[in-house]
Amino acid sequence: MAEVVLRDVCKRYGSYNAVDNVNLTIRDKEFLVLVGPSGCGKSTTLRMIAGLEDISDGTIAIGDQTVNDLPPRDRDIAMVFQNYALYQHMTVYDNLAFGLRNRKVSEDIIKTEIDRAVDILGLRDLLKRKPRELSGGQQQRVALGRCIVRNAKVFLFDEPLSNLDAKLRAHMRLELKRLHRRVETTAVYVTHDQVEAMTLGDRVVVMNNSRIEQVGTPWEIYSRPSTRFVASFIGSPAMNFLDGKVKRNGSGYHIHAPGGAFHVSNESARGLVGQDGRDVIVGLRPEHIRLHDSKTDNALHGRVELTEQLGAEQLVEVIAEGARIMVSRVEAERELKPGTPVYLTVEPGQLRYFDQATEQALA
Amino acid sequence: MSLASSGSSLPRRTGLFDMLRPGARAAFMTLAVSAVLLLFLAPIIILVVTSLRPGWGVYYIYRGTEFTLANYVEVFQRGVVIEAFFNSFLVATAATVLSLGVTVTSGYMLSRFKGWLPKTWFTSIYVFRTVPYISWVLPLYVVNESLGLYDTFFGILAAHVAVHVCFFSWIMKGFFDGIDPSMEYAAMIDGCTRWGAFRRVALPAAGPAIAALGILSWLWTWNEFLFALILTGNRTPLLTVTMAQFVTELGTEWNLMSAMAVMAMIPAVIITLFAQKYVIQGLRI
Repeated sequence: MAEVVLRDVCKRYGSYNAVDNVNLTIRDKEFLVLVGPSGCGKSTTLRMIAGLEDISDGTIAIGDQTVNDLPPRDRDIAMVFQNYALYQHMTVYDNLAFGLRNRKVSEDIIKTEIDRAVDILGLRDLLKRKPRELSGGQQQRVALGRCIVRNAKVFLFDEPLSNLDAKLRAHMRLELKRLHRRVETTAVYVTHDQVEAMTLGDRVVVMNNSRIEQVGTPWEIYSRPSTRFVASFIGSPAMNFLDGKVKRNGSGYHIHAPGGAFHVSNESARGLVGQDGRDVIVGLRPEHIRLHDSKTDNALHGRVELTEQLGAEQLVEVIAEGARIMVSRVEAERELKPGTPVYLTVEPGQLRYFDQATEQALA
Repeated sequence: MSLASSGSSLPRRTGLFDMLRPGARAAFMTLAVSAVLLLFLAPIIILVVTSLRPGWGVYYIYRGTEFTLANYVEVFQRGVVIEAFFNSFLVATAATVLSLGVTVTSGYMLSRFKGWLPKTWFTSIYVFRTVPYISWVLPLYVVNESLGLYDTFFGILAAHVAVHVCFFSWIMKGFFDGIDPSMEYAAMIDGCTRWGAFRRVALPAAGPAIAALGILSWLWTWNEFLFALILTGNRTPLLTVTMAQFVTELGTEWNLMSAMAVMAMIPAVIITLFAQKYVIQGLRI
């Protein structure tokens, strides 16, 4: 139960910057998710908080203590690893007790703590087993138990669900969420899976190329991505990006894009003010696009290229003047043969604009 | 016909063995296994039988019915034999304990740490491993001689430890490579120092592998002949060399040599029987 503050944190390997100038405040009792593609520096950041990697530059504070030079054992943290990292030669009970015994906690208190954790996680019948006699999900729960018994100030999670199959992952995701509500502790969670990031995080940090791209609530990240990278990384299927041109037009703006133009009224033209004549990248989320069979105003014209039937919906790929546009949430019953002409519309407020050169959002 | 019809659902096989009837297959297997067993057991059987024959009967072990334990009595009446057993046991045990003590940590270092020190260490081991075993022995002899260690217990022990450290650090590195380091990270977060994480988590996890290596090391030293021959003399008799000394100018005393060989096999057999699991794991190295 503590705040974690990273100030100008860098990690260098020779001339390579693995983590570049990260500034981040993780609030007390917050569940913060670091998400990004592999190699973006999220795991290194987590391992620096844990003390498993040295910090090249900057400071990390847990609570009111700077921990730069503290070894992991003195940082009062607990960590769950991707491959669980259970002690193979110990029983589940001993695995859970290990950290407490190292801290010279009396066996009575250890037993009470383990009882509490075991009830939360449903491990009662497994206490005498060795890790290799457990399934992946059970091992994961023991690893979580090892955190819970410790009552540490901060929980660190390093892709804890990525070794589980899809079904179990969804289940454990819910359990983790429930667990965090019950054991209110500051938690930092690293994943490359945007679904985990969106569902678990109180706030989400999107990282790319060793830097933080954006910090915000899942909804902020989804609805107001601050860069083209964030916009493309969060959301599935990924956002469509089209080359567009802004033209001022009386009461509002015209956005010219492949296959047509959108009229954007002044109210929804946030980010377009003063951009007259400028080339921009227009971002459209597949789920925000409506598909019409007949000619419509304010629409892009294209032809159906491919459809993917998912049962509950269809994904449709449309080609408009050579640009590929993905459309999701199309009614499953609707028949769309390749080559069919279609018209695409979007609520103007849902369009996003990015600078061509910097790829920063215009907002 | 029944084979052909039931075979339709199975993947098509064309091997000669698969074309046989089940009964013939069993017979074929029995024959093959017996042949292999005979190949491996014959020398041991001949050895045991020879050790039980009087001196004049060793060339006719398949004839004659005289059997005697006199060879064993005679062998053990020679003081040098007892001494050789004792010395070999001591050298094998000490070499195993000392070399494992070094290789466990050195293998761990090679597996987990980066930098110039592990790199240099690994390269030197690599170079030494490429040198044929026999080319070690003459330099070692010269070194031992100049240090006054020739034909001493410590001289032969040091040579064995040196070779083991090179060979086994490599193997031990492989063992630790197979153990996930995040277990040690977890231990460090759980309150261990770096050394504590090694001692309390990595070491127990490598336990079976270390046991396998220990057994191999012990058997290797127990059986070793070349170093023993060159680096020791009369003051420090060792098992393998003493055994070879039954070859005299007057002929080879096969019966006595066999009796001693049978005795020398016993520890190896016992170890193999009781630690089969580990030995097999060690053989996969």
